[in-house]
Amino acid sequence: MMKWTKLAIRNILRNKRRSFVTLLAIGVGFAAISLFYGYVHNMYDGLRFSAIRGEGLGNLTINKAGWQEKGKLEPEKYMFSKAETEKTIKLVTEENGVVLATPQIQVTGIVSNGITSTIFIAQGVVPRDDRTIKGAWAVFRPIKGEGLNEKKPYGVEVTQDLARYLNLASGKDGVVMTTTLSGQMNAMDMQVMGVYDSGSDATNDKYMRFTFDFAQSLLDTKMAERIVVLLDNWQKTEEVRALLLTKLTHAGIACEIKTWNELSLFYSKVRGMFDMMFLFLFSIVLVIVVMSTVNTMGMAVLERTREIGTLRALGLKRRGVSLLFAMEGGLLGLFGSFIGVVLHISVWAIIRALSPTYTPPGVSTPVPLVVDLVPQALFVLILCLIFLSLFAAIIPARRAAKQNVVDALGHV
Amino acid sequence: MALIEMQNIKKDYFLGETVVHALQGIDLQIDKGEFVAIWGPSGSGKTTLLNLIGAIDEPSTGNLAVAGKEVRSLSDNQRSELRNETIGFIFQGFNLIPVLSALENVMLPLQIKGASLGEAKAKALSRLQEVGLSEFIRHRPAKMSGGQQQRVAIARALVNDPSLVIADEPTANLDSETARMIIGLMRELNEKEATTFIFSTHDQRLLDRVKRLVRLEDGRIVDGGMKP
Repeated sequence: MMKWTKLAIRNILRNKRRSFVTLLAIGVGFAAISLFYGYVHNMYDGLRFSAIRGEGLGNLTINKAGWQEKGKLEPEKYMFSKAETEKTIKLVTEENGVVLATPQIQVTGIVSNGITSTIFIAQGVVPRDDRTIKGAWAVFRPIKGEGLNEKKPYGVEVTQDLARYLNLASGKDGVVMTTTLSGQMNAMDMQVMGVYDSGSDATNDKYMRFTFDFAQSLLDTKMAERIVVLLDNWQKTEEVRALLLTKLTHAGIACEIKTWNELSLFYSKVRGMFDMMFLFLFSIVLVIVVMSTVNTMGMAVLERTREIGTLRALGLKRRGVSLLFAMEGGLLGLFGSFIGVVLHISVWAIIRALSPTYTPPGVSTPVPLVVDLVPQALFVLILCLIFLSLFAAIIPARRAAKQNVVDALGHV
Repeated sequence: MALIEMQNIKKDYFLGETVVHALQGIDLQIDKGEFVAIWGPSGSGKTTLLNLIGAIDEPSTGNLAVAGKEVRSLSDNQRSELRNETIGFIFQGFNLIPVLSALENVMLPLQIKGASLGEAKAKALSRLQEVGLSEFIRHRPAKMSGGQQQRVAIARALVNDPSLVIADEPTANLDSETARMIIGLMRELNEKEATTFIFSTHDQRLLDRVKRLVRLEDGRIVDGGMKP
């Protein structure tokens, strides 16, 4: 095997310029895919972090069975009673890997500063639990002001554009109005305890956060819309969902459990778009690699026709000729991938050194451009390109092997 | 038993709609240890005949047996094995692999056969020594003269200890002195190891030293007897 590998390497080096161009094409293609993958990998990580921590979705959201379909129409029928809420939280927190389970409720209505009014969408959360869910996320989106706390149940947090629109700085008072679950109008005084950036232009002028008790009072209920579960490891999400669904069903709590990625529409859409872009880019690179390798190997077969005839005359079988050329193709893929790895690491290091930022559409603040170095992905990509080049070389290799020995020897 | 047995061999080529009768009923028998020259004018069928004997081509009709094996009944792989184990080739243009050194070129048939690196190296070194190229084992073909390249080709042809060596115009690209040396070397190996040599040539120096001449004209043997 070694002797044929050596021969294949020397054949690649025979026409250095042509091989270099092919290797460069494979290397640049490799780097394009791996850098894009590294960028997307980092973005998916960030989006996951943002969905679980930033959006406060936790890892799992437990609703009463039927909520997703009919909950908005008949909320009281599809919300957890106080007893059910307590029982569910107790059963959930018993499980390994569960950091917390906390009740939440959503309120929509009108917020006013006494002069101007606008609509709002608020989440009623338990402040202490919300701080646990936010965790490290709080560093990225700091709250201007004291923030929600149990000592001031009528204190609220307001998104920055909404605060600006209503001139509601931290410490100022206002009024929130909504309809209770029974359909009555209800209004309550509130005090702004903090102003925050939701991270999205679309929600920065309407999102608010209430304490859970304040939201319940406003809706005139003791029920909870959902129970949000935070896990110590996001990779356990599916496993814990299945476990909790069985456990709660057996305990007589008819529920439905959604994962963070099912609920984060933004994550799903962004992921779908970038997966499609990745596929598109990969297809382009695939065509470039295949065409470059086919061209290089096709030229090599043509130039070495007489040599192929000699090898066949010496007793090398057709399969041996095919393997020799296929090996050359595979080695082109391997060496091209090495160039790609070097390019990837170089660009990765430059990005780390310069720390550039950009503002994606719909996002309110600049985000750092980060490209991850994912060794497993690089390894898989190396294998992919080796097999791709090998596959591309098979066509000219088979042509080489099928040549008539006499014709090949007489080739000029 | 004869090493080569040809009975009524015909070979036709098709150039568009034109049929070229390259060989028209060849009957030939060559025994082990013979030193045979195939000669005749250009287009007489010398190379075609050698290609058939070398099992790199097959006759249109007729029976051809090499070392007791009927060539037409062999698969492509079996023919490759026959060439590798029984036949050595020496080409007019040397046909060395340019990216391999002299030693690696000579090792090639053994490595195709599947011999170990050590065995292949030892046998190749021994053959290179026999052809007087011990000093040039690391040289690539481009760094060697025509005569040296042809000696490497001879070493390569002999490295598998074949029963038969086929040489197509082996001295055509060489100067007189080198040609004489190559002829002497082939003759010496023929006598020492009883290896059968069959070659095509126009070279009178070579014709003067053969044991048997086979003269071809228009695809037919017109004189196949011993050298007068």
